[in-house]
Amino acid sequence: MTRDEQIAALTRARAEVGRVIAGCDSPQIETIARSADMELHWALWNLGEPVSLRAEMDEPTAAGR
Amino acid sequence: MPAPRRWDTPFWNRATETMPRAELDRLHLARVQALLHHAYESSAFYRRKLDAAGVHPRDVRSLEDLKTRVPITDKSEFIGLQQERPPYGDTLALPMDLISHHAETSGTTGVPLSIPYSMADTVRYGESWCYGFWGLGIRPSDTFYFAFGWGNFAGFWSAYWGARRLGCRVVSGGGLDTKGHVQAILRTRPTVLISTPTFALRIAAVAAEMGVDLSQSSVKFTYHAGEPGPTALPGMREQIERAWGAKAGELLGIAEVDAMAPGCPNGDGVHMNEMNLHSWSMDPETGKEVAPGEIGENVVTGYGQTAQPLINYRTHDLVRRVASCSCGRTWGKLEGSVLGRTDFMVTVRGTNVYQSAVENILAEVPGVSMHYELVLTRADDNDVMTIRFEPEPAIGGDEAAVRKAAEEAGTRIHRALHVRLECQPVPCNSLPRFELKTKRMIDQRPKEFRRALDR
Repeated sequence: MTRDEQIAALTRARAEVGRVIAGCDSPQIETIARSADMELHWALWNLGEPVSLRAEMDEPTAAGR
Repeated sequence: MPAPRRWDTPFWNRATETMPRAELDRLHLARVQALLHHAYESSAFYRRKLDAAGVHPRDVRSLEDLKTRVPITDKSEFIGLQQERPPYGDTLALPMDLISHHAETSGTTGVPLSIPYSMADTVRYGESWCYGFWGLGIRPSDTFYFAFGWGNFAGFWSAYWGARRLGCRVVSGGGLDTKGHVQAILRTRPTVLISTPTFALRIAAVAAEMGVDLSQSSVKFTYHAGEPGPTALPGMREQIERAWGAKAGELLGIAEVDAMAPGCPNGDGVHMNEMNLHSWSMDPETGKEVAPGEIGENVVTGYGQTAQPLINYRTHDLVRRVASCSCGRTWGKLEGSVLGRTDFMVTVRGTNVYQSAVENILAEVPGVSMHYELVLTRADDNDVMTIRFEPEPAIGGDEAAVRKAAEEAGTRIHRALHVRLECQPVPCNSLPRFELKTKRMIDQRPKEFRRALDR
Protein backbone atom coordinates (compact mmCIF):
# COMPACT_ATOMS: atom_id res chain seq x y z
CA MET A 1 0.00 0.00 0.00
CA THR A 2 1.47 3.37 -0.93
CA ARG A 3 1.67 6.33 1.45
CA ASP A 4 -1.07 8.10 -0.48
CA GLU A 5 -3.31 5.03 -0.28
CA GLN A 6 -2.70 4.80 3.48
CA ILE A 7 -3.60 8.47 3.89
CA ALA A 8 -6.78 8.06 1.86
CA ALA A 9 -7.86 4.99 3.84
CA LEU A 10 -7.14 6.66 7.20
CA THR A 11 -9.05 9.77 6.15
CA ARG A 12 -12.07 7.66 5.14
CA ALA A 13 -11.83 5.80 8.45
CA ARG A 14 -11.89 9.10 10.35
CA ALA A 15 -15.01 10.14 8.49
CA GLU A 16 -16.73 6.88 9.44
CA VAL A 17 -15.62 7.17 13.09
CA GLY A 18 -16.83 10.77 13.06
CA ARG A 19 -20.30 9.55 12.10
CA VAL A 20 -20.29 7.24 15.13
CA ILE A 21 -19.15 10.09 17.43
CA ALA A 22 -21.95 12.30 16.16
CA GLY A 23 -24.63 9.64 16.13
CA CYS A 24 -24.18 7.43 19.17
CA ASP A 25 -25.89 8.00 22.51
CA SER A 26 -23.64 5.81 24.66
CA PRO A 27 -20.86 7.51 26.66
CA GLN A 28 -18.84 4.32 26.33
CA ILE A 29 -19.08 4.05 22.54
CA GLU A 30 -18.49 7.78 22.05
CA THR A 31 -15.37 7.62 24.25
CA ILE A 32 -14.00 4.62 22.35
CA ALA A 33 -14.75 6.28 19.01
CA ARG A 34 -13.00 9.49 20.11
CA SER A 35 -9.99 7.45 21.15
CA ALA A 36 -10.00 5.80 17.72
CA ASP A 37 -10.21 9.19 16.02
CA MET A 38 -7.29 10.49 18.10
CA GLU A 39 -5.16 7.54 16.97
CA LEU A 40 -6.19 7.88 13.31
CA HIS A 41 -5.32 11.59 13.43
CA TRP A 42 -1.95 10.65 14.98
CA ALA A 43 -1.31 8.13 12.19
CA LEU A 44 -1.93 10.85 9.59
CA TRP A 45 0.38 13.23 11.51
CA ASN A 46 3.13 10.58 11.40
CA LEU A 47 2.63 10.05 7.70
CA GLY A 48 3.56 13.71 7.30
CA GLU A 49 0.04 14.94 6.56
CA PRO A 50 -0.62 18.59 7.48
CA VAL A 51 -3.55 17.72 9.76
CA SER A 52 -4.69 20.03 12.56
CA LEU A 53 -2.87 20.18 15.89
CA ARG A 54 -5.46 18.07 17.73
CA ALA A 55 -8.00 15.60 16.39
CA GLU A 56 -11.09 17.40 17.70
CA MET A 57 -10.06 20.60 15.90
CA ASP A 58 -11.05 18.87 12.65
CA GLU A 59 -14.61 18.37 13.87
CA PRO A 60 -17.11 20.82 12.37
CA THR A 61 -18.61 21.45 15.81
CA ALA A 62 -15.28 21.42 17.70
CA ALA A 63 -17.27 19.79 20.48
CA GLY A 64 -14.27 18.81 22.62
CA ARG A 65 -13.76 15.44 24.25
CA MET B 1 -2.48 -6.12 21.00
CA PRO B 2 -0.87 -8.05 18.12
CA ALA B 3 2.68 -6.85 17.40
CA PRO B 4 3.59 -5.17 14.11
CA ARG B 5 4.72 -7.65 11.45
CA ARG B 6 8.02 -5.99 10.52
CA TRP B 7 10.68 -6.54 13.21
CA ASP B 8 13.80 -6.41 11.05
CA THR B 9 13.73 -2.70 10.19
CA PRO B 10 16.01 -0.45 12.27
CA PHE B 11 13.41 2.35 12.14
CA TRP B 12 10.18 2.81 14.09
CA ASN B 13 8.99 4.93 11.13
CA ARG B 14 11.51 4.95 8.29
CA ALA B 15 9.53 7.47 6.21
CA THR B 16 9.66 10.24 8.79
CA GLU B 17 13.00 9.38 10.42
CA THR B 18 14.71 9.65 7.03
CA MET B 19 12.53 12.40 5.54
CA PRO B 20 14.48 14.90 3.39
CA ARG B 21 15.23 18.22 5.13
CA ALA B 22 13.12 20.35 2.79
CA GLU B 23 10.08 18.17 3.41
CA LEU B 24 10.67 18.20 7.18
CA ASP B 25 10.94 21.98 7.17
CA ARG B 26 7.71 22.36 5.20
CA LEU B 27 5.96 20.27 7.84
CA HIS B 28 7.62 22.23 10.65
CA LEU B 29 6.37 25.53 9.28
CA ALA B 30 2.76 24.30 8.99
CA ARG B 31 2.91 22.84 12.52
CA VAL B 32 4.58 25.89 14.07
CA GLN B 33 1.89 28.10 12.52
CA ALA B 34 -0.88 25.84 13.85
CA LEU B 35 0.68 25.82 17.33
CA LEU B 36 1.08 29.60 17.37
CA HIS B 37 -2.59 30.07 16.48
CA HIS B 38 -3.64 27.56 19.15
CA ALA B 39 -1.45 29.21 21.81
CA TYR B 40 -2.54 32.74 20.89
CA GLU B 41 -6.22 31.85 20.94
CA SER B 42 -6.17 29.60 24.02
CA SER B 43 -3.46 30.79 26.41
CA ALA B 44 -3.59 34.19 28.11
CA PHE B 45 0.15 33.98 28.65
CA TYR B 46 0.96 33.60 24.96
CA ARG B 47 -1.55 36.23 23.87
CA ARG B 48 0.12 38.77 26.18
CA LYS B 49 3.59 37.64 25.18
CA LEU B 50 3.02 37.81 21.43
CA ASP B 51 1.06 41.07 21.66
CA ALA B 52 3.89 42.63 23.66
CA ALA B 53 6.35 41.56 20.97
CA GLY B 54 4.09 42.98 18.25
CA VAL B 55 3.80 39.58 16.53
CA HIS B 56 0.58 37.91 15.47
CA PRO B 57 0.67 34.21 14.48
CA ARG B 58 -0.24 35.17 10.88
CA ASP B 59 3.02 37.19 10.73
CA VAL B 60 5.10 34.02 11.05
CA ARG B 61 5.60 32.95 7.46
CA SER B 62 8.93 31.15 7.73
CA LEU B 63 11.02 29.23 10.25
CA GLU B 64 13.34 32.23 10.20
CA ASP B 65 10.43 34.31 11.51
CA LEU B 66 10.04 31.84 14.37
CA LYS B 67 13.71 32.27 15.31
CA THR B 68 13.90 36.02 14.94
CA ARG B 69 10.42 37.43 15.67
CA VAL B 70 8.68 35.09 18.10
CA PRO B 71 9.78 35.77 21.67
CA ILE B 72 11.87 33.29 23.64
CA THR B 73 10.20 31.63 26.63
CA ASP B 74 11.78 30.30 29.79
CA LYS B 75 10.80 27.98 32.61
CA SER B 76 10.93 30.78 35.18
CA GLU B 77 8.02 32.56 33.42
CA PHE B 78 5.84 29.46 33.66
CA ILE B 79 6.75 28.83 37.30
CA GLY B 80 5.97 32.45 38.18
CA LEU B 81 2.49 32.28 36.60
CA GLN B 82 1.78 28.94 38.22
CA GLN B 83 2.72 30.28 41.63
CA GLU B 84 0.35 33.22 41.12
CA ARG B 85 -2.59 30.92 40.34
CA PRO B 86 -1.92 27.21 40.94
CA PRO B 87 -1.77 24.74 39.45
CA TYR B 88 -1.20 26.09 35.91
CA GLY B 89 -2.16 29.77 35.90
CA ASP B 90 -2.32 31.49 32.53
CA THR B 91 -0.04 28.93 30.93
CA LEU B 92 -2.93 26.50 30.33
CA ALA B 93 -4.19 26.35 26.74
CA LEU B 94 -6.93 23.71 27.01
CA PRO B 95 -10.06 23.48 29.16
CA MET B 96 -9.36 21.68 32.44
CA ASP B 97 -11.74 18.87 31.50
CA LEU B 98 -9.34 17.90 28.69
CA ILE B 99 -6.44 17.46 31.14
CA SER B 100 -5.80 13.76 31.70
CA HIS B 101 -2.53 13.69 33.60
CA HIS B 102 -0.61 15.97 35.93
CA ALA B 103 3.15 15.74 36.35
CA GLU B 104 5.87 17.91 37.83
CA THR B 105 9.51 18.52 37.14
CA SER B 106 11.96 17.21 39.71
CA GLY B 107 12.70 20.70 40.99
CA THR B 108 16.47 20.37 40.65
CA THR B 109 16.70 24.00 39.55
CA GLY B 110 14.39 25.32 42.27
CA VAL B 111 10.56 25.22 42.38
CA PRO B 112 8.94 22.30 40.51
CA LEU B 113 7.04 23.17 37.33
CA SER B 114 3.50 21.76 37.02
CA ILE B 115 2.83 20.02 33.71
CA PRO B 116 -0.67 19.34 32.39
CA TYR B 117 -1.16 16.73 29.65
CA SER B 118 -4.20 15.96 27.57
CA MET B 119 -4.77 12.32 26.59
CA ALA B 120 -3.39 13.03 23.11
CA ASP B 121 -0.30 14.65 24.67
CA THR B 122 0.42 11.46 26.66
CA VAL B 123 0.13 9.35 23.49
CA ARG B 124 2.57 11.60 21.63
CA TYR B 125 4.97 11.76 24.57
CA GLY B 126 4.98 7.98 24.92
CA GLU B 127 5.48 7.52 21.19
CA SER B 128 8.70 9.53 21.44
CA TRP B 129 10.31 6.79 23.50
CA CYS B 130 9.48 4.15 20.87
CA TYR B 131 11.98 5.54 18.35
CA GLY B 132 14.84 5.02 20.79
CA PHE B 133 13.60 1.68 22.08
CA TRP B 134 13.25 0.33 18.55
CA GLY B 135 16.55 1.76 17.36
CA LEU B 136 18.40 0.03 20.22
CA GLY B 137 16.85 -3.32 19.29
CA ILE B 138 14.00 -3.57 21.82
CA ARG B 139 10.98 -5.35 20.35
CA PRO B 140 7.37 -6.10 21.43
CA SER B 141 8.45 -9.48 22.84
CA ASP B 142 10.55 -7.71 25.49
CA THR B 143 9.60 -7.10 29.11
CA PHE B 144 10.27 -3.77 30.80
CA TYR B 145 11.19 -3.43 34.46
CA PHE B 146 10.61 0.04 35.88
CA ALA B 147 12.94 0.76 38.81
CA PHE B 148 10.93 3.86 39.48
CA GLY B 149 8.70 5.10 42.31
CA TRP B 150 5.79 6.42 40.17
CA GLY B 151 5.58 9.84 41.78
CA ASN B 152 4.83 12.91 39.69
CA PHE B 153 8.09 12.68 37.71
CA ALA B 154 7.09 12.84 34.04
CA GLY B 155 10.14 11.13 32.62
CA PHE B 156 9.37 7.54 33.44
CA TRP B 157 5.61 7.84 33.25
CA SER B 158 6.17 8.67 29.61
CA ALA B 159 8.53 5.71 29.26
CA TYR B 160 5.66 3.58 30.52
CA TRP B 161 3.35 5.09 27.90
CA GLY B 162 6.02 4.24 25.32
CA ALA B 163 6.44 0.64 26.50
CA ARG B 164 2.66 0.18 26.25
CA ARG B 165 2.66 1.65 22.75
CA LEU B 166 5.42 -0.74 21.73
CA GLY B 167 3.29 -3.63 22.99
CA CYS B 168 5.73 -4.92 25.61
CA ARG B 169 5.07 -6.59 28.95
CA VAL B 170 5.54 -4.11 31.79
CA VAL B 171 6.65 -4.90 35.34
CA SER B 172 6.54 -2.14 37.95
CA GLY B 173 9.15 -1.97 40.67
CA GLY B 174 7.39 0.97 42.30
CA GLY B 175 7.71 1.13 46.06
CA LEU B 176 10.50 -1.44 46.38
CA ASP B 177 13.86 -0.73 47.97
CA THR B 178 17.03 -1.53 46.06
CA LYS B 179 17.28 -5.11 47.33
CA GLY B 180 13.63 -5.53 46.44
CA HIS B 181 14.39 -4.44 42.87
CA VAL B 182 17.12 -7.10 42.61
CA GLN B 183 14.78 -9.80 43.88
CA ALA B 184 11.96 -8.65 41.58
CA ILE B 185 14.26 -8.67 38.56
CA LEU B 186 15.36 -12.23 39.34
CA ARG B 187 11.74 -13.31 39.89
CA THR B 188 10.01 -11.58 36.93
CA ARG B 189 12.85 -11.97 34.39
CA PRO B 190 12.57 -8.65 32.51
CA THR B 191 14.72 -8.01 29.44
CA VAL B 192 14.79 -4.20 29.67
CA LEU B 193 15.66 -2.07 32.70
CA ILE B 194 14.32 1.49 32.87
CA SER B 195 16.05 3.70 35.44
CA THR B 196 18.31 6.67 35.85
CA PRO B 197 21.89 5.74 34.90
CA THR B 198 23.27 6.08 38.42
CA PHE B 199 20.43 4.03 39.88
CA ALA B 200 21.25 1.22 37.42
CA LEU B 201 24.76 1.16 38.87
CA ARG B 202 23.36 1.32 42.40
CA ILE B 203 21.13 -1.72 41.77
CA ALA B 204 24.09 -3.65 40.35
CA ALA B 205 26.25 -2.74 43.35
CA VAL B 206 23.59 -3.85 45.85
CA ALA B 207 23.09 -7.04 43.85
CA ALA B 208 26.82 -7.75 44.10
CA GLU B 209 26.60 -7.31 47.89
CA MET B 210 23.76 -9.86 47.84
CA GLY B 211 25.97 -12.27 45.86
CA VAL B 212 24.01 -11.70 42.64
CA ASP B 213 25.79 -11.00 39.35
CA LEU B 214 23.29 -9.05 37.25
CA SER B 215 25.44 -9.42 34.15
CA GLN B 216 24.11 -12.99 34.14
CA SER B 217 20.48 -11.90 34.56
CA SER B 218 17.68 -11.84 31.97
CA VAL B 219 18.23 -8.11 31.25
CA LYS B 220 19.51 -7.51 27.69
CA PHE B 221 18.96 -3.74 27.48
CA THR B 222 19.09 -0.85 29.89
CA TYR B 223 17.49 2.45 28.93
CA HIS B 224 18.02 5.70 30.74
CA ALA B 225 16.99 9.31 31.10
CA GLY B 226 16.86 12.01 33.72
CA GLU B 227 20.57 12.80 34.01
CA PRO B 228 23.71 12.50 31.84
CA GLY B 229 23.95 8.86 30.82
CA PRO B 230 25.76 6.49 28.48
CA THR B 231 25.68 8.81 25.46
CA ALA B 232 26.93 11.90 27.26
CA LEU B 233 29.35 9.99 29.49
CA PRO B 234 31.15 7.12 27.73
CA GLY B 235 32.60 5.96 31.06
CA MET B 236 29.07 5.57 32.37
CA ARG B 237 28.18 3.40 29.37
CA GLU B 238 31.15 1.13 30.00
CA GLN B 239 30.26 0.69 33.69
CA ILE B 240 26.55 0.03 33.08
CA GLU B 241 27.12 -2.38 30.20
CA ARG B 242 29.72 -4.30 32.22
CA ALA B 243 27.59 -4.44 35.37
CA TRP B 244 24.44 -5.56 33.56
CA GLY B 245 25.89 -7.51 30.62
CA ALA B 246 23.45 -5.47 28.55
CA LYS B 247 23.31 -2.85 25.83
CA ALA B 248 22.73 0.60 27.32
CA GLY B 249 20.61 3.25 25.62
CA GLU B 250 19.69 6.79 26.50
CA LEU B 251 17.11 9.37 25.66
CA LEU B 252 17.35 13.12 26.14
CA GLY B 253 14.09 14.38 27.54
CA ILE B 254 12.78 17.44 29.29
CA ALA B 255 9.79 16.72 31.48
CA GLU B 256 7.71 19.69 30.37
CA VAL B 257 8.59 19.28 26.67
CA ASP B 258 8.83 15.69 25.50
CA ALA B 259 11.02 12.60 25.46
CA MET B 260 12.43 14.71 22.74
CA ALA B 261 15.62 13.09 21.48
CA PRO B 262 16.03 9.31 21.27
CA GLY B 263 19.55 7.95 21.39
CA CYS B 264 21.24 7.28 18.05
CA PRO B 265 21.91 3.55 17.56
CA ASN B 266 25.55 4.56 16.94
CA GLY B 267 25.73 5.52 20.62
CA ASP B 268 27.42 8.86 20.00
CA GLY B 269 24.51 11.27 20.18
CA VAL B 270 20.76 11.75 20.15
CA HIS B 271 18.37 12.72 17.35
CA MET B 272 15.74 15.42 17.94
CA ASN B 273 12.29 13.93 17.29
CA GLU B 274 11.23 16.14 14.41
CA MET B 275 7.70 14.77 14.31
CA ASN B 276 7.07 16.15 17.79
CA LEU B 277 9.06 19.37 17.87
CA HIS B 278 11.11 21.97 16.08
CA SER B 279 14.47 23.00 17.53
CA TRP B 280 17.38 25.28 16.76
CA SER B 281 20.64 26.33 18.42
CA MET B 282 20.92 29.81 19.89
CA ASP B 283 23.87 31.79 21.14
CA PRO B 284 22.72 32.36 24.76
CA GLU B 285 24.48 35.74 24.86
CA THR B 286 23.14 37.27 21.62
CA GLY B 287 19.92 35.30 21.04
CA LYS B 288 20.99 34.70 17.42
CA GLU B 289 21.18 31.30 15.73
CA VAL B 290 24.64 29.73 15.70
CA ALA B 291 26.15 28.11 12.61
CA PRO B 292 25.62 24.36 12.05
CA GLY B 293 28.15 22.37 14.08
CA GLU B 294 28.73 25.23 16.54
CA ILE B 295 27.81 24.89 20.19
CA GLY B 296 24.60 26.70 21.13
CA GLU B 297 21.65 26.47 23.46
CA ASN B 298 18.91 24.10 22.31
CA VAL B 299 15.67 26.05 21.85
CA VAL B 300 12.56 23.95 21.26
CA THR B 301 8.96 24.35 20.09
CA GLY B 302 6.87 21.30 20.96
CA TYR B 303 3.82 20.16 19.01
CA GLY B 304 2.93 17.41 21.48
CA GLN B 305 2.31 19.69 24.45
CA THR B 306 -1.01 21.22 23.49
CA ALA B 307 -2.16 21.66 27.10
CA GLN B 308 0.76 23.91 28.01
CA PRO B 309 2.48 24.91 24.75
CA LEU B 310 6.19 25.58 24.80
CA ILE B 311 7.25 27.86 21.96
CA ASN B 312 10.86 28.92 21.46
CA TYR B 313 11.50 27.45 24.89
CA ARG B 314 14.97 27.70 26.38
CA THR B 315 16.31 24.34 27.51
CA HIS B 316 19.58 25.74 28.89
CA ASP B 317 21.24 22.69 27.32
CA LEU B 318 24.36 23.45 25.32
CA VAL B 319 24.52 21.22 22.26
CA ARG B 320 26.40 20.70 19.01
CA ARG B 321 23.84 20.06 16.24
CA VAL B 322 24.77 18.32 13.00
CA ALA B 323 22.53 17.67 10.00
CA SER B 324 23.41 14.14 8.98
CA CYS B 325 24.31 10.81 10.53
CA SER B 326 25.63 7.49 9.26
CA CYS B 327 22.61 5.75 10.84
CA GLY B 328 20.47 7.22 8.05
CA ARG B 329 18.28 9.48 10.19
CA THR B 330 17.81 12.99 8.90
CA TRP B 331 16.55 14.32 12.22
CA GLY B 332 19.02 16.84 13.67
CA LYS B 333 21.66 15.09 15.74
CA LEU B 334 23.08 16.42 18.99
CA GLU B 335 26.58 14.98 19.12
CA GLY B 336 27.37 13.66 22.61
CA SER B 337 23.85 14.67 23.72
CA VAL B 338 24.05 17.65 26.12
CA LEU B 339 27.55 19.10 26.37
CA GLY B 340 26.87 21.46 29.20
CA ARG B 341 24.32 23.69 30.85
CA THR B 342 24.13 27.43 30.47
CA ASP B 343 23.03 27.59 34.08
CA PHE B 344 25.48 25.01 35.44
CA MET B 345 28.60 26.66 34.23
CA VAL B 346 31.02 28.23 36.65
CA THR B 347 34.02 30.35 35.91
CA VAL B 348 36.98 29.15 37.92
CA ARG B 349 40.01 31.42 37.66
CA GLY B 350 38.87 32.70 34.29
CA THR B 351 37.98 29.32 32.83
CA ASN B 352 34.40 28.26 32.06
CA VAL B 353 33.89 24.86 33.67
CA TYR B 354 30.83 22.81 32.70
CA GLN B 355 29.43 20.14 34.97
CA SER B 356 29.26 17.54 32.21
CA ALA B 357 32.86 18.17 31.16
CA VAL B 358 34.07 17.39 34.68
CA GLU B 359 31.77 14.36 34.88
CA ASN B 360 33.08 13.03 31.58
CA ILE B 361 36.62 13.09 32.89
CA LEU B 362 35.80 11.61 36.29
CA ALA B 363 34.03 8.67 34.64
CA GLU B 364 37.34 7.68 33.02
CA VAL B 365 39.62 7.90 36.08
CA PRO B 366 40.60 4.48 37.48
CA GLY B 367 39.61 4.13 41.12
CA VAL B 368 36.99 6.92 41.03
CA SER B 369 33.45 5.55 41.38
CA MET B 370 30.29 7.07 39.89
CA HIS B 371 29.40 8.43 43.33
CA TYR B 372 30.69 11.97 43.53
CA GLU B 373 29.51 15.54 43.97
CA LEU B 374 30.74 18.88 42.71
CA VAL B 375 30.72 21.47 45.47
CA LEU B 376 30.59 25.13 44.45
CA THR B 377 31.81 27.77 46.88
CA ARG B 378 33.02 31.35 46.58
CA ALA B 379 36.46 32.61 47.59
CA ASP B 380 38.48 35.69 46.65
CA ASP B 381 35.79 36.84 44.19
CA ASN B 382 36.00 33.59 42.30
CA ASP B 383 33.82 30.52 41.99
CA VAL B 384 35.56 27.47 43.40
CA MET B 385 34.63 23.91 42.51
CA THR B 386 35.70 21.03 44.74
CA ILE B 387 35.14 17.42 43.71
CA ARG B 388 34.19 15.06 46.53
CA PHE B 389 34.29 11.47 45.34
CA GLU B 390 33.97 7.97 46.69
CA PRO B 391 36.72 5.62 45.56
CA GLU B 392 35.84 2.31 43.94
CA PRO B 393 35.14 -0.16 46.79
CA ALA B 394 38.08 -2.34 45.65
CA ILE B 395 40.58 0.37 46.68
CA GLY B 396 38.50 1.98 49.44
CA GLY B 397 40.76 0.68 52.21
CA ASP B 398 44.03 1.49 50.46
CA GLU B 399 44.98 5.06 51.35
CA ALA B 400 47.80 5.26 48.85
CA ALA B 401 45.60 4.03 46.00
CA VAL B 402 42.84 6.47 46.92
CA ARG B 403 45.32 9.36 47.04
CA LYS B 404 46.65 8.30 43.64
CA ALA B 405 43.11 8.28 42.18
CA ALA B 406 42.53 11.80 43.51
CA GLU B 407 45.80 13.03 42.02
CA GLU B 408 45.01 11.37 38.70
CA ALA B 409 41.57 13.00 38.60
CA GLY B 410 43.11 16.41 39.29
CA THR B 411 45.78 15.91 36.64
CA ARG B 412 43.31 14.81 33.96
CA ILE B 413 40.98 17.71 34.70
CA HIS B 414 43.85 20.18 34.52
CA ARG B 415 45.10 18.70 31.26
CA ALA B 416 41.66 18.76 29.60
CA LEU B 417 40.06 21.87 31.07
CA HIS B 418 43.13 23.96 31.95
CA VAL B 419 41.95 24.52 35.48
CA ARG B 420 43.00 23.02 38.80
CA LEU B 421 40.14 21.62 40.89
CA GLU B 422 40.61 20.12 44.33
CA CYS B 423 39.67 16.42 44.40
CA GLN B 424 38.77 15.16 47.87
CA PRO B 425 38.17 11.46 48.47
CA VAL B 426 35.42 10.62 50.95
CA PRO B 427 34.64 7.21 52.51
CA CYS B 428 32.77 4.61 50.43
CA ASN B 429 28.97 4.80 50.83
CA SER B 430 29.14 8.20 52.53
CA LEU B 431 27.49 10.26 49.78
CA PRO B 432 23.69 10.21 49.44
CA ARG B 433 22.06 7.84 46.92
CA PHE B 434 19.14 8.89 44.74
CA GLU B 435 16.51 6.88 42.93
CA LEU B 436 15.66 9.72 40.58
CA LYS B 437 17.95 12.54 39.56
CA THR B 438 21.26 12.33 41.34
CA LYS B 439 22.15 15.66 42.87
CA ARG B 440 25.72 16.17 41.76
CA MET B 441 26.01 19.91 42.03
CA ILE B 442 26.09 21.22 45.58
CA ASP B 443 25.96 24.98 45.23
CA GLN B 444 27.12 26.66 48.42
CA ARG B 445 27.78 30.04 46.82
CA PRO B 446 25.86 33.05 48.15
CA LYS B 447 22.57 33.49 46.25
CA GLU B 448 23.72 36.59 44.47
CA PHE B 449 26.47 34.68 42.78
CA ARG B 450 24.11 32.10 41.28
CA ARG B 451 22.01 32.28 38.13
CA ALA B 452 18.32 32.93 38.68
CA LEU B 453 17.14 29.35 38.29
CA ASP B 454 19.78 28.03 40.68
CA ARG B 455 18.79 30.21 43.59
